[in-house]
Amino acid sequence: MKPVQSLRMSWRAIRGHRLRSTLTTLGVIIGVAAVITFVTLGASLQEDILVEVGSEEASNIYVWVGPEDTNQGGPGFGAEPVFTSADVAGIDDLDSVENAIPYTIWLTENVQYRDQSVTRQEALRVTDPSYVADEEFADGGPYDPGENEAVLTPSAAAMFATNVTVGDTITVTTVGGPVDLEVVGILATDDSLSPTESFSTSPRIYTSPEDVGASRFLFLIVDAGDPTAVDRAREDTLAYLNDESEASGSLPSNYGFQLQTAEELLGQLEEILDLLTGFVSGIALISLVVGAIGIANIMLVSVTERTREIGIMKAVGAQNRDVLQLFLTEAVILGLIGAILGTGLGAVVGYAAIEFIGIDAYVFPTFWAGIAILVGILVGVVAGLYPAWDAARTDPIDALRYE
Amino acid sequence: MNSTTADETERAGTPAVFLDDVRKTYFVGEPVHALDGVTLEIPKGSYTAVMGPSGSGKSTLMNLVGCLDSPTEGRIDIDGEDVTAASNRRRTTVRGKSVGFVFQTFNLMPRLTALENVALPLVFRGLSAGERRERARDLLERVGLGDRMDHRPSELSGGQRQRVAIARALVNDPAILLADEPTGNLDTETGAKILDLFDELHAEGNTILMVTHERYVAEHAERIVHLLDGTIERIEELEGGEEDGRQETESGQGEGTE
Repeated sequence: MKPVQSLRMSWRAIRGHRLRSTLTTLGVIIGVAAVITFVTLGASLQEDILVEVGSEEASNIYVWVGPEDTNQGGPGFGAEPVFTSADVAGIDDLDSVENAIPYTIWLTENVQYRDQSVTRQEALRVTDPSYVADEEFADGGPYDPGENEAVLTPSAAAMFATNVTVGDTITVTTVGGPVDLEVVGILATDDSLSPTESFSTSPRIYTSPEDVGASRFLFLIVDAGDPTAVDRAREDTLAYLNDESEASGSLPSNYGFQLQTAEELLGQLEEILDLLTGFVSGIALISLVVGAIGIANIMLVSVTERTREIGIMKAVGAQNRDVLQLFLTEAVILGLIGAILGTGLGAVVGYAAIEFIGIDAYVFPTFWAGIAILVGILVGVVAGLYPAWDAARTDPIDALRYE
Repeated sequence: MNSTTADETERAGTPAVFLDDVRKTYFVGEPVHALDGVTLEIPKGSYTAVMGPSGSGKSTLMNLVGCLDSPTEGRIDIDGEDVTAASNRRRTTVRGKSVGFVFQTFNLMPRLTALENVALPLVFRGLSAGERRERARDLLERVGLGDRMDHRPSELSGGQRQRVAIARALVNDPAILLADEPTGNLDTETGAKILDLFDELHAEGNTILMVTHERYVAEHAERIVHLLDGTIERIEELEGGEEDGRQETESGQGEGTE
């Protein structure tokens, strides 16, 4: 029998029992949808971060000091403010480094605007103006160093009863006492600007080290200028830090310099996502097994119900393999429908989840969708094999007598 | 073994079915001889009826001639091909090609239309959709159902269903048409029309083997083979006995008398 013909006949048999067929595929639908949802979520999150961090900052190296022999915690885990302005200047002068800037959280007791004081310890971020220079501004622009100017994130501008606007002055109280800063720019979004901000979207005020008297920094952000130059810049920076830097003198015991490229940071994230995907896939596998059992079960019922039809087909010349093909096709169609509907459902649920969480990117995992279709076919074959074989070996004499 | 390209002139001389001392023994506890040495030749173009009480071996004979089963002993030729020891697969091929079944209970595929039911045997022979439709349409018109082609069996009367089944049996142009009580589920009037159709098909040159226990049905044939306890009791030749032969039934119950 030609495959097209068995496809048509099987499809008709499935359509003859719409509700039953739908319920049968439910197991596969749920399994596939679960995987597609989470893979969509993972891939979109990755893409989102990649766009935010990776593309323009692929040549960046993030440097901090942290406990040695630890890969946990991500960038800045256990970081201590040890880097000095001299270190920044020293690394900036290295041949393989295009630019090196400091970054630190400069603790504040409070932030004042007009007569209102807001207690914020970690709002003040001290770094070079180039850190914010390339960002999109809702209003104004980057600050100039030494001019007592600041750039605010939208949420920082909205911290007070009255919104802070460009040209206003805010007062930050640090260990060195209150400092007045003129707001010269407000960023377009609260998104974190680099991995040093741990992807947080909390209110932040950017200003230059000179204005608040900051002399020790948590991070160095080293730009190699070109992604291909990252490895050399990294080696040179590490050598400088170990041999010449002031930071090496004030390194806490058991602490070492941690240098990570944007790529490595993404790698860490990928690992976590892969772990999550693996976990979800495990659950989905169980669902698929249940789905396969469901299909096998309904196929067995179907074979029994259609014993007489099998007898008729054999009487008019259907070979065993024709009957096998017919029932196997039916099981595969059920599995395939489950996989296709599951993929669609997963894509929709994944999209809804992304909208709900607020991830900017949406990546449909084409590769996994392909896998899902293959799995659907496989489930159909596995589930249909025994029932189809059972149907194929039916004795036509008995089958024709079957009531 | 004859191939399908065998010389047609040689074939014309070979019988549609030839059984030589055929025995079929079932082992249910002790051996039961369903057929116990049956020798029968069914020439091409003949119309043979098989009669006999329950358990006489009618069904077994049908199954063997229809290539649904293999004999325990003896030899069976269908359309010149020895199928005695043929594999399951080969028997299925011969069945599809050379045998057309007409059952008492019609045995149509419930989800297929009349046209698709008739075309079904061609599906398993790999014919194209166009060829199948054309052949099936011709046959449905031949049996008088040209206006019912797209109806499902559930939308057809008993007589119409049997006509669809007959068209299906003829679709491969079989060497022999096997009819097992074809009027058993029909009222007398409808049954008579079906028997008329068989007469017409016989007149057109088809070979028919019909199993029945109604004498008036059997009398449409040219000869009646009487089976008893797995053997041929006698073969009754009928001369022009196709009309008004409805006086008595084989079992003497007197039904169907008009």
